[in-house]
Amino acid sequence: MRNTLRTIILSIGITLTSFSCDNYVDIEPYYAQDADNYFLSPADYDKALIGAYDLMQTSYLDMWIGEIASDNSIAGGESVTDSEGLHQIDNMTHGGVNTELRSLFRWMYAGITRVNYIFENKDRIEFTGKDRILAEASFLRAYYYFELVKFFGDVPLIIDKRLGASEVTTQQRTPASEVYAQIEKDLIFAAATLTWTTAVKGRATKGAALALLGKTYLYQNKFIEAAATLDQVINEGPYNLSTDFKSLFRVGGESSNETVFDIEYVGIEGGGYGCFVCLEGFAAVGFHSIRGYVGPTYGDGNSYNLPTLDLVNEFEFGDSRLAVSILDIEAYKTSQLPVVVKYTVGAGGHTGFYNNKYLKRVAELGLPDNDLTSPVNHKVIRFADVLLMAAEAHNRKQGPNDALALQYLNRVRGRVGVSMPAINALGTVLTDAIYHERRVEFAGEGLRFFDLVRTGRAAAEIPGFKTNKNELFPLPQAEIDLAGAGWVQNNGY
Amino acid sequence: MKINLLMLFMLFSVLGYAQKQVKGKVTDDKGEGLPGVNVVISGTNSGTVTDVNGNFLLDNVSASGTLTFSFIGFVKQTVSVGDKTTINIKLVPDVVSLQEVVVIGYGTSTAKEITGSVSVVNGKNLTALNPTRFDQALQGQAAGVQISTASGSPGGAVNIRIRGLSTNGDNNPLVLVDGVPYSTDGLNALNPSDIESINVLKDATAGIYGVRAANGVIIITTKQGKRSGKPIIEFSGYAGMQETTRKLDLLNAKEFAVLKNETFAAGGQTPPFANTGLGSGTNWQDEVFQKAPIQNYNLNVSGGSEKSTYSIGGSYLDQQGIVGGDKAAYRRYNTRINFTTDLAPKLILQNVLLFTNETRSTLPENGIASVLYNTINASPAASPTKEDGSYTYLEEFSDIINPLAQMANSFNKAKVNKIVGKQEFTYKVNNHVDAIARIGYNYANVGSKVFNPLVYYGSGKAQNNTSSPDLRPDSISLAPGFKVPLLNNVVETQQTYFNYNLEAFFNYNQIFNKVHSVKGTAGVSFLEDRGESLTGIAYNIPYNSNDFADLSAADGTNLLNNSSSYQYRSRLQSVFMRGEYGYQSKYLLSAILRRDASSNFGKNNRAGYFPSMSAAWVLSEEPFFESKMIEFIKVRASYGVVGNDKIGLFRYRALLGGEAVYPFNDQLLNGIAIGAFGNQDLKWETTNQANFGIDFTLFDGKLDITTDYYIKSTHDLLFTPDISAIVGAYAAGTSPPVVNGGDVRNSGFELLINYNQEIRKGFTFNIGYNLTTINNRVTALQQGVDFYDFGSFGVGGGSATRMQVGYPIGYFFGYKTEGVYQSSEEIANRGVTQEGAQPGDLKFVDTNNSGALSFSNNSDKTFLGSAIPDVIMGLNAGVGYKGIDFAVTFYASLGNDILRNYERQQPLANLLNYRINRWTGEGSTNESPRLTTAANTNGVLSDYFVEDGSFLRIRNIQLGYSLPQSIIRKIGATKVRLYVAVNNLATFTRYKGYDPDFSSGSPLTGGVDQGFYPQAKTMMAGLNLNF
Repeated sequence: MRNTLRTIILSIGITLTSFSCDNYVDIEPYYAQDADNYFLSPADYDKALIGAYDLMQTSYLDMWIGEIASDNSIAGGESVTDSEGLHQIDNMTHGGVNTELRSLFRWMYAGITRVNYIFENKDRIEFTGKDRILAEASFLRAYYYFELVKFFGDVPLIIDKRLGASEVTTQQRTPASEVYAQIEKDLIFAAATLTWTTAVKGRATKGAALALLGKTYLYQNKFIEAAATLDQVINEGPYNLSTDFKSLFRVGGESSNETVFDIEYVGIEGGGYGCFVCLEGFAAVGFHSIRGYVGPTYGDGNSYNLPTLDLVNEFEFGDSRLAVSILDIEAYKTSQLPVVVKYTVGAGGHTGFYNNKYLKRVAELGLPDNDLTSPVNHKVIRFADVLLMAAEAHNRKQGPNDALALQYLNRVRGRVGVSMPAINALGTVLTDAIYHERRVEFAGEGLRFFDLVRTGRAAAEIPGFKTNKNELFPLPQAEIDLAGAGWVQNNGY
Repeated sequence: MKINLLMLFMLFSVLGYAQKQVKGKVTDDKGEGLPGVNVVISGTNSGTVTDVNGNFLLDNVSASGTLTFSFIGFVKQTVSVGDKTTINIKLVPDVVSLQEVVVIGYGTSTAKEITGSVSVVNGKNLTALNPTRFDQALQGQAAGVQISTASGSPGGAVNIRIRGLSTNGDNNPLVLVDGVPYSTDGLNALNPSDIESINVLKDATAGIYGVRAANGVIIITTKQGKRSGKPIIEFSGYAGMQETTRKLDLLNAKEFAVLKNETFAAGGQTPPFANTGLGSGTNWQDEVFQKAPIQNYNLNVSGGSEKSTYSIGGSYLDQQGIVGGDKAAYRRYNTRINFTTDLAPKLILQNVLLFTNETRSTLPENGIASVLYNTINASPAASPTKEDGSYTYLEEFSDIINPLAQMANSFNKAKVNKIVGKQEFTYKVNNHVDAIARIGYNYANVGSKVFNPLVYYGSGKAQNNTSSPDLRPDSISLAPGFKVPLLNNVVETQQTYFNYNLEAFFNYNQIFNKVHSVKGTAGVSFLEDRGESLTGIAYNIPYNSNDFADLSAADGTNLLNNSSSYQYRSRLQSVFMRGEYGYQSKYLLSAILRRDASSNFGKNNRAGYFPSMSAAWVLSEEPFFESKMIEFIKVRASYGVVGNDKIGLFRYRALLGGEAVYPFNDQLLNGIAIGAFGNQDLKWETTNQANFGIDFTLFDGKLDITTDYYIKSTHDLLFTPDISAIVGAYAAGTSPPVVNGGDVRNSGFELLINYNQEIRKGFTFNIGYNLTTINNRVTALQQGVDFYDFGSFGVGGGSATRMQVGYPIGYFFGYKTEGVYQSSEEIANRGVTQEGAQPGDLKFVDTNNSGALSFSNNSDKTFLGSAIPDVIMGLNAGVGYKGIDFAVTFYASLGNDILRNYERQQPLANLLNYRINRWTGEGSTNESPRLTTAANTNGVLSDYFVEDGSFLRIRNIQLGYSLPQSIIRKIGATKVRLYVAVNNLATFTRYKGYDPDFSSGSPLTGGVDQGFYPQAKTMMAGLNLNF
C-alpha cells in the first residue's frame, strides 16, 4: 500500500518536472517566414515591394466613385441594395456607414503599411539598386495618400514604420496640407531617383512620379508648381499622344507611349466574389459590362457605373471619342442586325449607355469568374491628362500663359483620329474649354467628381451635392470609433 | 466483491454494552444470503456487517430504535426494532439505472455516484433510429445536447452543440472514441452500429479534458465482447426509399406571368408576357427532386474466452440523394475489431481498430450558386429542356442557371480512408491501483476530385467557363499577343491527417473503514495533430468527359496547370489529476485539475490550469429520509474552469503569409507581405461553468427524473476584431491580430424524464422526455467595439447578423416593419419620412424616433430574431406487447428564427406563392409589399424576411415484430425481428423554407437559409437477426 502510493507520487513528480518546461509544444510552423526576421537579401526588398504594389489593384473602387459620385454615371447593378454604398453616393445620400468607402480607406492604408514596412527596414542591408526600390515605394505611398487625401481630406499621416495597434489612439488626423507635403516629398524623391523608362512594364517611372506630383500641385491650386512640373514631363519625357485612341484602352494598347502610369492587371489568375482585394484582374470591367448580354464582341456583366445622357450630351457633334468612350446599347443592337443582340436591365438602374473604355470583350477574358479577372489595365495618368493639367495650370496660374495652355489643349483636341477643331480662347472661356475637354477626354476614367470638386463646380453640376459637405467623403464612422482618437467627422456628415 | 471481503474482516468488531441483542439474516430477492450488508442503528454510528451467509448479530439495540440495512446495488431498508430479537430482511435490488456505468474520462463512475452532469445514451437507442451517423440520432435523446443538420444531403454534416453556443469560433465538442480523440469533421466515418454507449459530459466535470472541454465532451465506447461468452452473431439491415420532406409553394407559370407583368408594368417597363395563359408550366422542384434509395447492413460477432474478449463487425451503407441521386450520394464500408486479452496475469491489452472507407459526391449547396437556389428561382414559364433534349438556358436571368444542367455538369467526389486505433495496456498493480498506458491514433486520407467540364449555361451566367454555346474554349491572354485556350480541367486534392495521443495514468480506488471511499486518477497526455495537402489542377480532359477526368489523362504541358500544397501541425501536452471522496455513498466530492500546454497559444500564455470541483449529496441515503414513493434523491453541484483551444494554429505569430502578387511584364510575380498580425498574449477561451442538479428515482425505479440548471460563462473569446484601418491590416491575406476579448453567457434548464413499466405480463410501456432551454447572451466585447457584423443578405447586400452585448450571438439585424403604406396620404402624414416610399412599400419602423428612416446608416436597424432556439425537446415513447413493438420519437425546437435568403431579388426570378397576396391597392393587404421593378427599399433586410423557425418533427416511427422464441429456437436464433419505420414522417412548422431543422454550423450566421438541402423522409423496412 505504502509502496503503491510512493510509486504513484514519485511517478507523478517525475512526469511533472520533466514536462513542465513544455518543450514538446515549442514547435515551429512548417515552411513559414517570420515578419520580424526578414529583409536579409536584396530579393527580400523586391518581394516586399511587390506586396506594396498589390494594393494598387483595388483602384476599381476609386474609379467607380469618381464617376458615380459625379454627373457622369449612375450606380446601376442588380438592385438598389446591390453595393448599396454606391447607390447612396450616386444619390449624394451617403453617410459614415458605407461599405465601399470603408474598403477604400482600409485598402489605401494597407498599401501604405506595406510601403512603411520596407522603410522601417531600409537600413538592414546595403546593396545596389536599393534606391530604386525605395523610390518606387515612395511613389506608391504618395499614390495611396493622394487617394486618401482627395477622398477624405485630413487623414492620419503614418510614415516609415508600422503602427502598433496600441498606438492608434494617439493618431490624430493630419491636416491635408501636411499630407500633401509628404506626398510631394515622396514624389520628388521618387522622381529624382527613377528613370524615364523602365525595362519592366508596370513599374513606376520618373514620368509617373512627376505627373502625379503635377496633379498633386493642381489639386492644391499650386498652379505655378504644377505648370513647371508638368512642363518637365511634356518636354523631357518620352510620351506622346496615341495615334489610335480606340485601342488605347485595349490590352493591345497597354504599351502605348501615352501611358504615363497605369495599374497592371492580368487574366491568368481566377477570382471570386469572396475576395476583391485578392484579384489580379480589373474587376471594374466585368462589373461595368452589359447585364445578360448575348451577342458579338462584348461579354456580359453586372451593369454597374452606367454613363448618363448628360455625359453623352457633353460630347461635341462629330467627336469620335464618344463612340470609344460610351456604348449606346440600343444603337449598337440595331447596328448589329441581322445578328440578334440581347441584354437585360438591372433593377439598380439603366441609362442605355455603358462605359465602353472598360467593357468586357470576348477577346479580353480572364480565368473564371471572368466578371472579375479582366486583363485590361487601369490608365491612371495618360499623357493627355498631363497636357490638359498643364493647360489648366498655365491658364489658371498667376500670370497665365494662355498661349501655351491653348497649344496643349489643341494638341489633345487635334490628336490623330479625333481631329476636333482647334479652340481659340482666353481666360475663363479657355478654362471652361479645358474643363469640357477633360470631361469628354476622360469620360469613364474616374476623374470627373474630383475635377468638379477641386474647380468648385460640383454643386452646380451634381444633383443633390451640398456645398461645404460633399466636397469630401465622410470618414467611415467605424474608423472614427475604432481609432478612438477623437477624430471629428467631416463637415456635414 | 473486494469490498465485501474487506467488510467481512471487520465483522463482530463493534461491541458495547447491550440493551438488547438483535440477530437476523439478510437475503436477496431470490432468498440467497447477502454478505457484507451494512446494518446500522439509525441515528448512531454503531452497527455491523452481515457475514458470508448473510447473518448478523447486533448488541445495544434499544427497542425504540430502528435498523437500517444498506448494501451497494440494493434498496436501503429501515425496520423498527420493537420487541423483535430476530429480524430477517429481504433486500430488493437497487434500481438498475442507478447502477449504470457512466464514463467520466480516464475512469468510470455510476449513475448513483456521479457528481457531474452527464447524459448517457445507450447505443441501442441510437441504432433503433437507423441514423447514417450517430449524432443525427442524438437529436432529442439527451438533454442539453442540440443537434442540427448542416446539410441534408447524403454524408452531410451535423452540428453538435452542448449547452448553447459558448464561442463565436469552433463550438464542436471534444469527441473521444474509446479514449482516442476523433475529428468532428470526420464523424461520418463512425458507424452508429459500432457504438455501445455515448456519454456526454456537459458541465465542469468535463474539466479532466481541460482546454478542450469548454464545448462539452462526448465519450463514445465501442462494442466489446464478454469474457467466457459464446459467440453472438448479430445482423441488422434495412432498405428504404427517401423523398423530400417538403417542396416549396412556388408560383406556377400562369401566376408567374401575371405577377411579373404587374411587376414590370409597375416599374414602367414592358410586361414580359404577352400571353399569361401558360398553365402550370414547369415545376422545377418536380424536375429536381427524386425518390432515392438507402440501404444499410451490419454484421457483428462478439464473445470471449476466459482470458480474452472480442467484438468484430462490418457494415455497409449506401445512400442516394433526393436531389441529384448519385450526384449527391454517400457510400460507406466499415470494419471494426475490439480485442482484449490478458498478456500476463495482471496485464491486459486492449486493441481497437476501426477502418472506414467512404465515398461522397456532392452538388453545390446552400448558397447563391446552389442547385436548390436555382431551382427555387428558375422561371416556371421556361421549360427545362429544348426540343432536341438539351437543357434550356434561362437567359432572362443573369445568374440563375438551369438546375438540371447544373446537376448534369457537376462532378465532385471525395473518397476517405480512415483508420482509428488504440493499443491500451492496463497493469493491475494491486487491488487498488491500475496503471494504464495507451497510444491512440487517427489516420485519414481524403482524396477529392472535381471535374470542371467546359460548360455553357446560357449567356451571362457566372458559372459558364466558356462564352460559346457550342463549347469552343475561350482564349485568355497570358501576355499581349500571347493567348492560350481555356479548356476544361480537373482538380485533384490529396489530404492526409494524422494524430497520435500518448497517455499514461494511474487509477486508484480504495475504501477505508468501510465508509470512506477514495478514488484518484493522475496522468500525462501528449497529443500531436498534423496534416498535409497537395492539390493539382490540370487542363484539357479528353472529350470533355468525366470518364477521363484525371490528372493522368489531362494535358501535362498545359501552361495553366498548377499545383499547391499546405501542411500544419499542433501539439498539446497535458498533466491531469482527479480525486474523489465518498462517505457511505452519501456525500460525494470530486476535484479535478488539468494543466494543458498548447502550441496554439502565444509565448506569454503557453500553459493553462483548469480546476473544477463537484459534490453530491444522496439525500435518500440519509437515515431520516423516509419515502415509499421515492427511492433515490441526489443533489449535485459542480463548478469549474475549462477551456477551448480551437483558436487556429500559430495565430500568435506574425508570419509572412499575406498575398503579395502583382503583374510586371504581364507576368504575375509573387512577393511577400505580412499575413495575420501577431499577438504573443494570445490564449485559450476560458469557460466558467456552474451546474446544479437533482436526480430522482421514483415508483420502484419506474420513473427517473434528472434536472439540471447550468450557467456557462465564456471569457476571452477570440476575435479578429476590426482594428483601425490605419494599422494597415486589410489586404489580401493580411488580417488584424487575433485577440482575446469578449464574453458570452449561456444558461438554461434541463429536464430528463424516463418512465418504464411492465403494465401487464408481456405489455411494456416506456416514455422518455427531455427538455433543454438555452438562454444565450453576449455579455462583453472588447473595449471600443460595440458590435461585430457577419454574413450577408441578398446579392451584394450588407451584413445579416450581429454579435453585440445584450443580445444572442449572431442575431439578425435589420429593419422592423409595421405593415405596408396604403396611400400617398399615409406616407405624407405618417410623421416619419421614409425616403422614396410609394404606396405599397413596406413601412419601416423609425426605431430611433428621429422622424426619418435612415438607410445609409444603421440607426434604425434593430434586433429581428435569433437562430438559437429557446427550448428544444425530445420525446421517445414505446409500447411492446408480446412480440410486437411500436416506438415513436419526436423532436421539437421552439423560438429559433430563420432568415429567408433564398429568394433572388431579380425582376424575373420566381417567387413563393405568398406573394400572390401582394399589395395591389389601398386596403388590399398590410402584409406583403407591392411588386415592381422600380427602385424600392422593400428588399432591405427586415423582419419581412425573418421567420419563426419553430417546429415539431416526428423523427422516427417504427413498428416491429419479433418472432416467438419457440419458432426461432428451431433455426438456432435468439432474436428475429422485422420492422417497418419512417424517419422524418411529418414536420409541423410555419417556416416557408425546405427544412427548419438546419444550421449552417456557423455560430454567427447559422440561421441564414440560402436554399438548404432538406433532410429526407425515409420509409424503410428492416431485419434484426441474432444467433
